[in-house]
Parts: sequence; C-alpha cells; structure tokens
Amino acid sequence: MRRLKVLYEWFDRRLQLGEPIKEMALHPVPNKTASWWYVFGSAAFVLLMLQIVTGILLALVYVPSAGQAWNSLNVLNHQLTLGWFLRAMHGWGSNFMVAVVLIHMAQVFLFGAYKFPRELTWVLGVFLLLMTLGMAFTGQVLRFDQDAYWGLGIGASIASRVPFVGNWAVHMMLGGPIIAGATLSRFFAFHVFVIPGMLLAFACLHVWMVLKLGINEWPMPGRIVRRATYAAEYHKLTKKDGRAFVPGAVWKDAFFSAAILAAVAVCAAVLGPYGPGGRPDPTIIQTAPKPDFFFLWLYAVLSYLPPSLETPFLLIAPALGIAGLVALPFCAGEGEKSWHRRPVAILMLTSIALAWSVLTHLGTFTPWSPKMTAWSGGSPVPVRYTHDASPLQRQGAIVFQSKQCRNCHSIAGVGGQRGPALDLVASRMTEDQLIRQVLQGGGNMPAYGKNLSPSEVTALVSFLETLHPANEPPAADASRNAAAVLVTPAHQ
Amino acid sequence: MSEEVLLEGHDEEETAPVDELAVSRRWLLLKIGAFFNAVVGVAVAVPVVKYLLSPAKPDGAYKSWVSLGSIDSFPVGETRLAKFTNPVGRAWDGETDRVACWVRRIAQEQFQVFAINCAHLGCPVRWFPQSGLFMCPCHGGAYYADGSRASGPPERGLFTYDTKIVDGDLQIDAGQMPTLSNTAQLVQIQNTPGGSPCAG
Amino acid sequence: MRGCAFTGGLVLLSLALFVTCMGCHGRIGEPNDQDELMRPEEVISFDRLYQQNCSACHGENGSGGPALDLSNPTYQALVDDASLKRWITSGMPGTQMPAFGESAGGFLTEQQIDALVAGMRARWMFKKSAGVAMPSYLATIVGNAGHGEAIFQASCVSCHRQDKQKITNTSYLALVSDQSLRTIVIAGRPDLGQPDWEHVRPGQPLADQDVSDIVAYLHSLRSDTPGQPYPDESAKR
Repeated sequence: MRRLKVLYEWFDRRLQLGEPIKEMALHPVPNKTASWWYVFGSAAFVLLMLQIVTGILLALVYVPSAGQAWNSLNVLNHQLTLGWFLRAMHGWGSNFMVAVVLIHMAQVFLFGAYKFPRELTWVLGVFLLLMTLGMAFTGQVLRFDQDAYWGLGIGASIASRVPFVGNWAVHMMLGGPIIAGATLSRFFAFHVFVIPGMLLAFACLHVWMVLKLGINEWPMPGRIVRRATYAAEYHKLTKKDGRAFVPGAVWKDAFFSAAILAAVAVCAAVLGPYGPGGRPDPTIIQTAPKPDFFFLWLYAVLSYLPPSLETPFLLIAPALGIAGLVALPFCAGEGEKSWHRRPVAILMLTSIALAWSVLTHLGTFTPWSPKMTAWSGGSPVPVRYTHDASPLQRQGAIVFQSKQCRNCHSIAGVGGQRGPALDLVASRMTEDQLIRQVLQGGGNMPAYGKNLSPSEVTALVSFLETLHPANEPPAADASRNAAAVLVTPAHQ
Repeated sequence: MSEEVLLEGHDEEETAPVDELAVSRRWLLLKIGAFFNAVVGVAVAVPVVKYLLSPAKPDGAYKSWVSLGSIDSFPVGETRLAKFTNPVGRAWDGETDRVACWVRRIAQEQFQVFAINCAHLGCPVRWFPQSGLFMCPCHGGAYYADGSRASGPPERGLFTYDTKIVDGDLQIDAGQMPTLSNTAQLVQIQNTPGGSPCAG
Repeated sequence: MRGCAFTGGLVLLSLALFVTCMGCHGRIGEPNDQDELMRPEEVISFDRLYQQNCSACHGENGSGGPALDLSNPTYQALVDDASLKRWITSGMPGTQMPAFGESAGGFLTEQQIDALVAGMRARWMFKKSAGVAMPSYLATIVGNAGHGEAIFQASCVSCHRQDKQKITNTSYLALVSDQSLRTIVIAGRPDLGQPDWEHVRPGQPLADQDVSDIVAYLHSLRSDTPGQPYPDESAKR
C-alpha cells in the first residue's frame, strides 16, 4: 500500500492531474440532480467508448474496398470466432447510442438545461447529435450490401437536387461518377477518422463544460433564470443543498451505464448482427432497399410529400431544423425551466416524438411500396374467394395476379398496400366504376387500358365483383336497375 | 527518486528586466512568423483543395460510348435488362462498377434505353411486361413502357441514355449515375419517339 | 442500498453466465443467412423458387390457387418435361402464364427452371396404375366440333349449364388456349372437386378423340371480339 502511494506520487508530480481530477470529482452538485433523470449523458459517452472499442476491433478485419468489404463482413459473421458478436455489439451499440442521445436531448430540453449559462453546451450537443446521426449513416454505408448501395443512391439523388451545384455535390459525395470503390473509401475515412475524431473532441468539450458550469439544478416552477443572478444562485444552492459529485451522484450514472452496456450485449447476443444483406452488385435488381431504423422516418416522409414539395423540403427543412436547435438557447436563454410552466415546449416535444414514431412505424412496413413479388409469389387469393367462382371469375383472379395488380392491392392481407385493399371492393364500386378505374387509372393508379385486352378486363372485373360480404349485395348503379325494369317487360 | 530534488526550485523563474523594445521586437517576430505560416498554409491548401475537388467534373467528362452487345439480343417490341461495365472505374471496384439498364426496342432500328435508377431517388426500377409498367420498390414510383411517369412520387419520366447503332452493336452514352442534375434529364424529349408529352 | 447492490450483483452474475454460455457453444444470435447471401440466380432450392415465382397463382402447395393445380398427379402424369419447361421459360401462349426464363426477359436461369420441373416431379408425381390409356397431352388428332358438341351436351352441360360454371363465355374462352382447355378436360381440378377424363362420364372415360372433339367444339365458340361490355344485356335488348 505504501509503495503504491509512492508510485502514485511519482506519477502525479509529473502529470499533475491528481488535483484537478479530485476537484472535478468532488465538486458539489445540487442534491436533487443526483437523479435517475440525469444519467443519459454519461450513458451516451460510455456508448461512444463502446463504439470506439468495438469499431477498432472490427477494423482489424474489415477491408474498406468495394470489391472486398462485403466478403470481409461475411468472414466476420461466419468464420471468425465470435466475429458476429462484435459486429452485433457495434450495430446494437449504434442503435442504443442514437436512442440515448435523443433521449438525453429531450430530457435536457424538457428540464430547460440549455438556458444560461449552458447555451454553448447545448449547441455542442446539437453538433454531437448530428455527428452521431452521421456515424449511423456512414456506418450503414460501411455495411456494404444492397441496402447500403441503394441507400447511397438515395443520398446521391438527394444531393443532386441542390440547385446549380447538384452534379458537383453528387460527384463529391460519391468520389466519382458512380457508387463504387472511391465512394466506400471516403465513407470509411469519414466513419473511422473524421467524424469520430470530431465526436470525441466535441464530447470531451461538452463534458468539460458540464463539469465547469455545474449540472443543471432540478427545475422548480417559479425559479426564474436571470443572467445577472443565476451564477450566484446556483452557487448558493450547491452550497446549501448539495453533495459531492463523487460518489453522491455518480453511482447512478455507473449503474445506468452498466445496464445499458448489458442491454447492448444481450441484444447483440440474442438478436445477432445487422446483415450484411445481399451482395452489392447493382445489376441485381431483385431488391427492395430500406434504410436503417433511425432513417425510416425520412424514408416515410419522402414517400408522402407531394413531388413539388420534395426538393424544398429536402434542402430547406434540415437547415431550418438545425438552425432552430442552435438558436433555441439564444431565443429562450432566460426564464422558467420547469415543464410545469412551459406548455409550448411540452407540446413541441410531444408532437415531434409523435410524428417521429408514426413515421418510423410506417417506415417499418412501407405501405407506399409495391410488393415486387406479390404477383407471382406468396399466398394466392384464398380458396374461399375462388372456390365457388365461375371459370371466368377464376380467370379474373389469375389476371389480377398476372397483371401485377396485387403488387399494390392486397387481398386477404397479402399484397402491396400502395392502393386500397380490395377484399370488399364490390361493395363500394359498381361494375362500371371498376371498369373505368382499371382502364383509366387515376387517384395515383396507372391506367391499364393499353395493357389489358377486353376479355381480361371482363374477367378481372367479374372477379372483383365477387369481392363483397356474403350478406351484402355488390354495389350497383341504380339507373341501370331502373333501365332493366323498364326493358324486361317489353322484352317478354 | 533522486531527481525530485532537482525539479524543486524551478518553480520560481527570475523575472527579466522589462525592456519595451525587446518585447515589441518579439511581437514583431511573432507576427512575421504568423504571416509566414499563412503564406505556407495557402500554398499547401491550394493543392489540397484541388485534390479534394478532383472527383467533381463537368457533366460530359465521365461519359463515353459503351456497347450493350448486338442489337439482335433485344427482340423488337420488348424491353430487356442489359448490363454493362461502367467506362470509368478503378481496379478495386469489385462488382460495383457494373451497371444495369432497360433496353426497349421499339422498331428494327429504334431503341430507347432507360436508366435503372428511379427518377425519384435512384432505386432500381423493375420492368413488368405483363402490365407494361416499370415499378420502383422504394416509394412506389411507376412508369409506362415509354418511360413516362404513370404514378407515384417521381416528378418526371425515367432517365434515358443517348443511343446509337454501330456495326450492329447497340451503344449508349453512359458513365455516371443519372440524377436530376445531370444531362440525363435533357435527353428524354429528343429521344422519345411516340413518348407521351409528360415524359420530360 | 444493500438490496440494490444485491440485485445488481444478481443481474451481473446472470449476465456473466449468459455471455460465457454464448462464448462456449451457445451461438444464440449467430447469423444463419447463407440463403439470403446468394445471388438470386444461384438459388436452386425448389421451395424458395416456387414460393417466389409460382405460388401466387398455382397455390402454396401446388393446389388451391386460381390457376391450374400443379400438384394434381393426373396433370403431372400427363405433361412431359419439355412442355413444362417450355411453358415456364417462355410462357404459355393464349393464357395468362407469363414467361419466367431469362431468354424471354424473365429472371430464372435454365438451371432454376430445371430445378422447378424436377422439384414438381419429385413432390407431386406418383405412378398410378394405368387402367385405361390416358389421352395424350398435346393434341394429335383434328377434333370434330359437331361430335364435341354432342359429348358436351351429354356429359358436361349437367354442371356447366348453370351460370356459375358456364365455360362457354367468350371472355373466358379468350383467356384460355386450346391446349389449356385440353389439359383441364383431361386432368380436371381435383382441388376444386372437378372431375378428370376418367370420371367425367360415369363408367366411360373420355378417349383421345373425345377430348379433341370437345376442345374443337369449345374452339368453335370463340368470338372475334370477346369481352365487349354488357354482352348479356345487348342480347336482351
């Protein structure tokens, strides 16, 4: 023990780090902030460390070459002992990191912690969020499979919409005219050197400011932040009702970080790594690209926006969003911190969270995408729809499949959701309306007039006419019924 | 641990007599030093920036005529998938320098070659001869046989390549990923015989 | 505090156990995705190919779909490999069966089509004791429409008379080729309870000539302009 102390002193005389660290560890924090609400920042930092360590371990094997990256990932997955587990840790670590960073940000916003004097801490935090998302996107590219390839295509297509310099932006992003070796190399450089370096530096600065400015006190309704008096008030609070950061508050951080790491490990072990999916050969077009979880909302937005709004949204909305986040502490740097007195903030947070989760949910099952193989593969139209059908109607069911109607329209829950499900179509459209819709299209449906023969249309419509509940007659044109009544007696 | 004694005492430095002239000379030297650094910095930055910008080239620079094979491999009246190797590439591109496109042979000597990339966000469109539609798996864009927009989010028809026939070979002017910002968008109108007016 | 530490310890212990188990032999989440990683043209598993290309029309296990039930052993006994392969590769003219072969603009290679044919044979073809010679798959004789009408009236109309099972509808006839009519007359649709050539006439299986005659009769009912809107009513008016 004594020798250890001597050793410590030898080092500390040279490093001179003991005193500042001790000061930092023992700095007082308000009692109430030693709370489970204040653990997300440290967890994000711990996850960053995890990502760096697992990333380095993966880089021991990964080959950042367009020709070999996919193969090296499969070697990791299948040939190296527990290589798959490390890939899974890195993949799930990234998911957890984005989630924890977002929760941390929401909590900081909710607690008014961005207000004076912590404006710069918040601004740095915004950049840290952007860099975390940047890491998630570049990481998805490094998993160089079909999704990564076409994801880059989407990225390039977005870049091409920039006015005047679109072509230049595409070439810069791809490192050449097409998605190829140069593209992967530059995304590798960004994912492994540029962004992590900045992320680490910014994160350390962020933590430094948290320690120097003190942890945000628990927001109390009526405790107003004023630039002139805040520092003195905070000082008084920590003196009167505070405790040392170590161990008073930090043990909760430690527990939570360990729990998060354990959760990452369990997810990785049970659910396994992400991909890689199919090989990145652009001539394999039997693919339905999809982004990773945290970009699904964007994927959803891009399919719902009207074409005329798309380019403005893609180019202006991100800039506005970032500007808004950066401007927040300067617009609302003083005043109430408590969520009890900040209804607008609560409303904003809930509506953003709600929109995000709805869009993400939609993104998981992409109701706007045609199911490209529903016409030929999967379950057929169920027997209960065709068993009692006439030969013509049964041919109609075949036409329904062979003309790819099912890629966009589902029957019995199978098929695309781009168009409406047709299980009950006969009870809402008459025969004439069905024929018109098939031939002319409309309402975002292509016109099939050129590609269906009259008998195909007849068969298809006669099949669709059977799709109504047993106890409910199909929709009929009232005027035609009247005409039939008039015609029939004369005929007899 | 004997050196510990050595290090003591270095804490208090003797203060030099204040010399106005000397201080300003030091500042001047520092300023000259900073200026010198700035000059060198600019001199080094120019090649760095040029190196960084080297992939960005004007539109035509990457394009050249590529053969898709004999025109006999494309039946008249049908649309077929064709594959070629991008004329610009690197040795380590692997499979990624391969490009697919859709070749529509309208008449004996009349071709339309569509890019595989959807005009919306570049996903690979697939041709369905039965319904006569190109469908995109990403956001549900659909196009008619002549490449004109049928439905979904795309603002325009499919991108097309310029074509020519040389010695019975079908050639296209290709080389870069077609996007909304390069010339792919201008070709469509000139090159779409019988195409619908909304094709451009 | 004490309880907390205890719980934490328990969690850590179980976690350690868990990770150790996995490290030794567990392989819980280890990827098993060899199929997913294949190029689509390399897939030769019948189940996957059938599931992706055939099941939506022909039924998930070769029966119950709107199109012909491939699992019908009579059909499998009737059709020859070359025809089956031709229909898959280039589609069946006059019907909705599309072309799947690469040579005809589809996505399946020759090996994959061979795998489909072999898989169907392995699953759904079993030898039946042939009592009566089955009519040939491809028509060899020119049919007599008049004779065909007689057989149709005698043996088929009992079911095909009613509106429900009417097969003389010109739109229907425009969507099926003579060959597919011939196939269905011989093989029937057992999955829908429709009889084959042996059972359509009690005690008197259809002969090759009879089948050709019926097809010739149905052929004679084809219209040049099928599928006009409201055909029934224009007749009424």
